Formats: sequence, structure tokens, C-alpha cells
Amino acid sequence: MKAEYINPFIAAIVDVFAKMLGCSLKRGDPYLKDRAQPTYEISGIIGLSGKAIGTVVLSLEREVALQATSTLLNVRYKTIDADVIDSIGELTNMIAGSAKAQLEQFEMNMSLPNVISGKNHVIQFPSDATSICIPFDSPWGAVCLEVSLVEKHAAKGFPAKTGTPAASPLSNPQEVLA
Amino acid sequence: MPSNTRVLVADDSSTMRKIIIRSLNAVGIADANITEAADGQEAIQLFEQTAFDLVLTDWNMPHRTGLEVIEAIRAKNSTVPIVMITTEAEKRRVLDAIRAGVSDYLIKPFEPENLREKLDKLCPA
Repeated sequence: MKAEYINPFIAAIVDVFAKMLGCSLKRGDPYLKDRAQPTYEISGIIGLSGKAIGTVVLSLEREVALQATSTLLNVRYKTIDADVIDSIGELTNMIAGSAKAQLEQFEMNMSLPNVISGKNHVIQFPSDATSICIPFDSPWGAVCLEVSLVEKHAAKGFPAKTGTPAASPLSNPQEVLA
Repeated sequence: MPSNTRVLVADDSSTMRKIIIRSLNAVGIADANITEAADGQEAIQLFEQTAFDLVLTDWNMPHRTGLEVIEAIRAKNSTVPIVMITTEAEKRRVLDAIRAGVSDYLIKPFEPENLREKLDKLCPA
């Protein structure tokens, strides 16, 4: 995955959190996610397909999801319910859509969002797709954006079922960010 | 915007519908004049059954897309204002919506005042 593909997603999540939640995010150091690792308690997932294929995962600590939903709907949420699930799906949708617009050359379509809730859930990416995880701190807790994007001509056999992840062209994830 | 404006809000996200309805309430539209559709098919059916003065629709929805909603409405009504509220921001998408007959286009994420400005422009008091 090329480094320049990541920056639109970083800009998108910062913009969505600022505009929809009035929440500023502090970015941490991105890293390659080359094995199944537990994500936070709630994850919104969207697939992208076109001249590139990819997956976007917005993973949030429970308190972030609750506070985000409370802010969106002006109601205090204390438990994960259908409104929280829907809100996280919509935030994921906005982030993926906003980034997709910056990657117009790939003419991608988005899937409808799916949301997974549960402690220690693991999201497995196709084995030949390098996933980059960009962590953020928010006033409400931790947020992580995981992105995998492969140009279609480079995505032979995508999605693969098994195997060792291919060596990433992004040897140093720090180069993602200027 | 006249308070008796009848509005159809089509979005598969209940959160987005609530946010949009809050903006409609803020410009004086009562809940009684707002009808919600949770997918494109429901939006088309509701438009066939009920008279609306304004339609606000998402693009990516189950069953029928917002683009299909616009096309279906325009086949019956060439004048009702339709605003597409969507994450689809690419030029090719906007052009598709314009060709289908959309009146205005609002890209998510948006500030509440962005929507209110469009509502005031399309349905002046």
C-alpha cells in the first residue's frame, strides 16, 4: 500500500470528528498491522471497491462511542444500543466517503457500513493486504483507524484466505505522515 | 422556510435522520410535517402516496439508492426540491445526481448551518 493513500483517511477522520462531534483528535504513530490484534470495543467497517480494493475500520473505545453518540444525538448514552451502533456506522461512512473523494482516481464504491461490538474482537484483513493502523487520542479515549487499500492490478487473488502477509512496500509507517 | 413545509427525509442511518430532523425543527418545521424513510424503496413508495414540498435523501441506502429515488421522483414531479445529503463527494457522483435532477447537494460531514442555508434557499419563507 502506498503511503500517499493513507493521508486522505487521516484528514477525513480529523475532519469528521471536528465537524460532527466538535472533538479534536491527537494523532499517534501509525504502525503496520500484520497480524490479528484485538481492536477496541466497537468497530465500524466499510469495504471499498473499484480500481482499488480496500477496507476501512474505525475502532473506538466504549466511552468514545458513547460520548460520540451522545454528542450527535443530544442524549446521554450509557450503554451500547442500536443508536450507538448506527452512529458509529455513520461516522465510519463519512470517514470512508470523505477519503474516497480524495482518491477519485480509483473510482471506488463503498459498501454499507457494518458495526461489530464486543470486547477483544478481532478483525482479520485479507492476508495479502497490508493494514495500516493510525491511533488517535481523543478527550473521550482511544480511537484507531485501520486502512487497507490495494490497487486492483496489484491485488491478485484478493481476498486471499491464508498465507503470510506479503512484505509491505511501506517499510517505515512513519513515512505515511509528513 | 414556511412551517407547514412537508418534508420527506430518506436515510438508512437513524442517527442522520435525527440530525437532519433537528435542523428542520430549528428552521421551524414541526415533526408532524416530517416523514422518515429508512431506505430508497420506502422513500419512493412514500412519495407516491403523499404530497411533499421538499425531499432530503441520502445516496447509499439499501434496496434503492438515493440516485434511484431522485429518478423515480423526477419521473412524476419535475419541480419538488430534492437535496442529496451524502458522503459521495466525487465530481462524477455530483454530475450523476445533477443529471438525475437533484436540486442541491450537501456533502457529509456538514455543519448544521450548512443544511439550514440550503433549506432557506430552496424553501424561502
